[in-house]
Amino acid sequence: MIQTGSGSIEETVRAVLRDVLGLSDERVAAFGDTTPLFGALPELDSMAVAGVLTEMEDRLGILIEDDDIDGDTLESFGSLVAFARAKVPA
Amino acid sequence: MIDRYDWPGGHEALWRFGPDTGPVVLLLLPPFEEANRTRTFAVGLLRALAVRGIASILPDLPGQGESLLPTEATTLADWRAAVTALVAAIDRPAIGASIRAGALLDCDADLAGRWQLAPQSGAALVRELGRIAGRIDRSAATVDVAGNRIATTLLDELDTATPCEVHPRRVVRLGTDPKDADLRIDAAPLWRRAEPGDDPALADQLADDLAAWSRACVGW
Repeated sequence: MIQTGSGSIEETVRAVLRDVLGLSDERVAAFGDTTPLFGALPELDSMAVAGVLTEMEDRLGILIEDDDIDGDTLESFGSLVAFARAKVPA
Repeated sequence: MIDRYDWPGGHEALWRFGPDTGPVVLLLLPPFEEANRTRTFAVGLLRALAVRGIASILPDLPGQGESLLPTEATTLADWRAAVTALVAAIDRPAIGASIRAGALLDCDADLAGRWQLAPQSGAALVRELGRIAGRIDRSAATVDVAGNRIATTLLDELDTATPCEVHPRRVVRLGTDPKDADLRIDAAPLWRRAEPGDDPALADQLADDLAAWSRACVGW
């Protein structure tokens, strides 16, 4: 299990997708920057998006305003990780 | 065994597990969608608790589950009144256990101790409901959130509701949750799963902790 403090942001986002969407370790381990998410994963509906964003807030200690989210944010694993990186204080 | 309990606004169903003697754990689920996501796990936890010799009760709350009260007619005060009435009718030492926002509901009840799994504030619950609904118009009487029609006055009550902090109190959180806890366990948050899941290994592990806590609270 990945901890917030010790894991990288990318690994935290990977673990959030695994836990909220109920995906296997093997499946999320294969996620790369260009792996498509929204529209490509049947598990990722609007309700699941809400869970992913809230779980990212809790684990990364960030606040996500719904206005921050646009069509590109969840387009790929890479775009979601980049979004999280931009939210986490350096 | 399925039974029922009375509260000032009517009566609701409850499920009993475990022996007829000794202390009773009252487990409160979070309201709305998270109740569906945690119910299977909760029943597994209470069955594991029964194996350890501890009895328990899993109640329906007014306006939730099989309740005849419409969800939109429910208030936070109703939930708390129902829990208080239920605990008052238990003629054995009672320990409160809760998952997530269930921790908001047992403040007024006469309990020997409280055990809270990932307790959630009312403000955090309202924020999640708002995210799921897209937008909540507080000037309207009700809001539809993923199949639940909720009174906006209930959201007003939840805005300032916080988990009960009366001692003795034990807070259990997941390893991924950075907030304060007495016990931290590495597991996935079932209440966030898009499709309801289960985690029998976690239920077993938590049953050990809840059984020991319950015995300690009542000296049994």
